[in-house]
Amino acid sequence: MPVTTSHRPATSAALNAERVIEALDVSRRFGAKRALDGVSLSVARGEIGALLGPNGAGKTTLLRILCGLLDPHAGSVRVMGFDARHSPRELRQRIGLIPSGDRSFYLRISGLENLVFFARLHGLSRRAAVSRSLEVLEVVGLRGAERQRAGTYSHGMQKRLSVARALLLEPAVMLIDEATHDLDPEGGRQVRELVSDLARRGAAVLWATQRLDEIRGFADSVTLISEGEMRFAGSVPELMSHALPQRYLLRVQNGSESGKALEPLLQAALADIGTISIAADGGADDFVLSLREHTALGDALRSLLDADVQIYACREEQSQIEDAFIRLTASSGPPS
Amino acid sequence: MSSVQTTAPHSSLFFGELRKLPAFARRDLLVAWSYRGAFFGEWIGLLTGAFTFYFVGLMVDPKTLPSFGGNHASYMEFVAAGIALGAFVQLGLGRVGAALRGEQLMGTLESLLMTPTSISTIQVGSAAYDLIYVPIRTALFFVILALTFGLTFEPSGIGPAVLSLLLFIPFVWGLGVMSAAITLTFRQGSGAFALGVSGLIIGSGAFFPLQLLPHWISSIARFNPVTLAVNGVRAPLLGGGWGGIWPDALLLAPVSVATLALGLYAFRLALRREQRRGTLGLY
Repeated sequence: MPVTTSHRPATSAALNAERVIEALDVSRRFGAKRALDGVSLSVARGEIGALLGPNGAGKTTLLRILCGLLDPHAGSVRVMGFDARHSPRELRQRIGLIPSGDRSFYLRISGLENLVFFARLHGLSRRAAVSRSLEVLEVVGLRGAERQRAGTYSHGMQKRLSVARALLLEPAVMLIDEATHDLDPEGGRQVRELVSDLARRGAAVLWATQRLDEIRGFADSVTLISEGEMRFAGSVPELMSHALPQRYLLRVQNGSESGKALEPLLQAALADIGTISIAADGGADDFVLSLREHTALGDALRSLLDADVQIYACREEQSQIEDAFIRLTASSGPPS
Repeated sequence: MSSVQTTAPHSSLFFGELRKLPAFARRDLLVAWSYRGAFFGEWIGLLTGAFTFYFVGLMVDPKTLPSFGGNHASYMEFVAAGIALGAFVQLGLGRVGAALRGEQLMGTLESLLMTPTSISTIQVGSAAYDLIYVPIRTALFFVILALTFGLTFEPSGIGPAVLSLLLFIPFVWGLGVMSAAITLTFRQGSGAFALGVSGLIIGSGAFFPLQLLPHWISSIARFNPVTLAVNGVRAPLLGGGWGGIWPDALLLAPVSVATLALGLYAFRLALRREQRRGTLGLY
């Protein structure tokens, strides 16, 4: 399947010191199942790269390869210039990983003791480990719960503990796997803020997610994978350019006309700006407006108003980015 | 961003890894203490077993037992070393074998592997608490038995008995790591492994003299590492002095070292295989 890309990343000649995370044509199988097939990406220092894809796309597999927990069958992976397969110690001194699951802590001991343990495995003395652990617990808002057993933490608290663990050594590389999927919106915002802050201080961040709303205004670049294949690489606005013509839900009235009877009048008012049809699951006054490419919503609304149509509500039916995601991950491949 | 030293001399690396071991021991102490019921229940089970052997011992004529340093010990004195060493093997093996499997089941194994910690340190660290606790528990068990049942042990035999116990630790540890490697690879099989170990304990003279076994079995059992350890603890405690332990100790030491080396190697292979296959997180 062809890759839709605006800047195909990581040819070996292009690799340089600024590209902190580099994967080049990485493939991996599990038995007969192909988990990754020729995936390439790169993330520079201070950049947040989004690794986007639906469930089972291969995001976690790629993250595990990047941090050396899994070997690729083909391709190469370098993080801060280190090959994960040959320099695991050097690599792990520089990587903070936030895994997707909750099963990564000792549930019978406290959150603080968990962090102290992992800090000591990173080489800190006990005194330094306790001090640093308390600092990061403060940062993620878990001070006050540090003596509680990790097993009594909610999902959100465990996720924040995971973030705290990744922050223990101020990592130069952060690999984040579905960090916010079980957090409430405020918790998710806090985690994104922490990660943005880390990136501002120079860390390279790879943020794997299936949630589109997370990446707009947050990620600097996006690599979209589906069924183990790259479908897109580029910026968020470039991803959005692959969206279908925009669709909006309108609530309108025109005198006594409503429903099907109103539809021809609305279409006539719009002319070739777009198409309009009654919303399948709405009321008699609800319509779906689909704009043609390169047309503005304002023009459509003005045309309707000129035809004496009262517009009571207008909202985007589906985000452009979501449209792009669905189009690019569809098994039939990207648009021609 | 933090600046991290990229290379370190081997000695510095070695001591750096060594300094991580107390963190493992503390973690496991805290986890063990969080299961207080199991912690004390284990002791109650051990003492219940000791009482059972005490009453069985009342039916046994000491003259039918081997003599040590010219003295005929009571059955309870005879079997004390067997109970202690049997529990030592079962507990040590069970815990070492289960430690890394437990990490896999809990999902913490990958978290451990994500730290700049060597596989060897993780292996030793996962057993650190048990390597300290189980020998202390064994020594305490002897003291409690002596006080509760009025058993007499030779003070001059304590040193040789401790030496035998120390020589035995790598054997138990090696078997434990081997068991962990089998479980990591096949996700099962620890039961069959434990069955084999039970055979080793029964065929060690821990609970009855080897002479009671058919001749061909007893002549093989003579070289059973558990037999060597039981003899190395029992003979000096009941007969006193260092003299009797050397032949067994000289046999036990290389077997122990080889078992540990084999176990660690097998585990390293098993772990590498899991990483290669990508099945480390599967359980």
